[in-house]
Amino acid sequence: MKTGTKIRASLVAVLAVAAASPAVAEGKCSTAPRSNWQPKEALQQRLEEGGYRVRQIKVEGGCYEVYAFDKNGARANMAYNAETLEKLADPEAGEK
Amino acid sequence: MSAVMADCMADKRVRVWDPLVRLFHWSLALSVIVAWATSEGWRASHEAAGYVVAALVSARVAWGFVGSRYARFGQFVQPPAIVARYLKAIASGGERRYLGHNPAGAAMIVALLAGIGATAVTGWLLTTDAFWGSKPMELVHSLFGNGIVALACLHVAGVALASWRHRENLVRAMVTGLKRAPGPADVA
Repeated sequence: MKTGTKIRASLVAVLAVAAASPAVAEGKCSTAPRSNWQPKEALQQRLEEGGYRVRQIKVEGGCYEVYAFDKNGARANMAYNAETLEKLADPEAGEK
Repeated sequence: MSAVMADCMADKRVRVWDPLVRLFHWSLALSVIVAWATSEGWRASHEAAGYVVAALVSARVAWGFVGSRYARFGQFVQPPAIVARYLKAIASGGERRYLGHNPAGAAMIVALLAGIGATAVTGWLLTTDAFWGSKPMELVHSLFGNGIVALACLHVAGVALASWRHRENLVRAMVTGLKRAPGPADVA
């Protein structure tokens, strides 16, 4: 799938579908080995304490990508650095 | 038909694909490529492409009932037995030329429309509360997505084969709408 992802990434550049790239997202996904990551459960617990209902936490690169509902029941999609659990500005940070 | 006969008739072209069919075809091809290219990490573009795809497929299905002669499903969709027989004829090199879609191409159109439609619908479902973050729905969506990539490759191979066998550029025909007038052995 890695090749597919690369082809896709270059196609995106060629087609320039994503108009001028948005301001560089704050924060980055972790580049540390997985053993340095915080467990998914820690993030889940923190989110639930904040009133989120968590549907799925995916590992994307060095990020956790969260699909949840916030306390108002609205769909929420966030990305966190898997090592620091710092919230990133771009929810798709781990997929790029 | 012999090459000599084909040459004699090369000048005689008839209109087969109406403008909507051609516009639809190339718009769908482009939208599917954009959707595929943006499937990981470019959600806004991916979703926009998905809605365009859904609108195009819906319009084409409607046009398949009320459109011009060679745009109608009734003109080209064939039962599986006929499709199988045509595939066998291709394998043995004796398949007839169709002015409209041949039975194998028609089956591909049905498969692509169904597969692309299903990909669009499951993608939209992933944006609803019911399937937000649903792993099984993500899996179904990506299976359909990869399925249409495979079908599209087969589709291009089929077009290339038919173009070569019948000595006519089917890609150009889908641009101009014109095809060589049918010969006595062709199915019009």
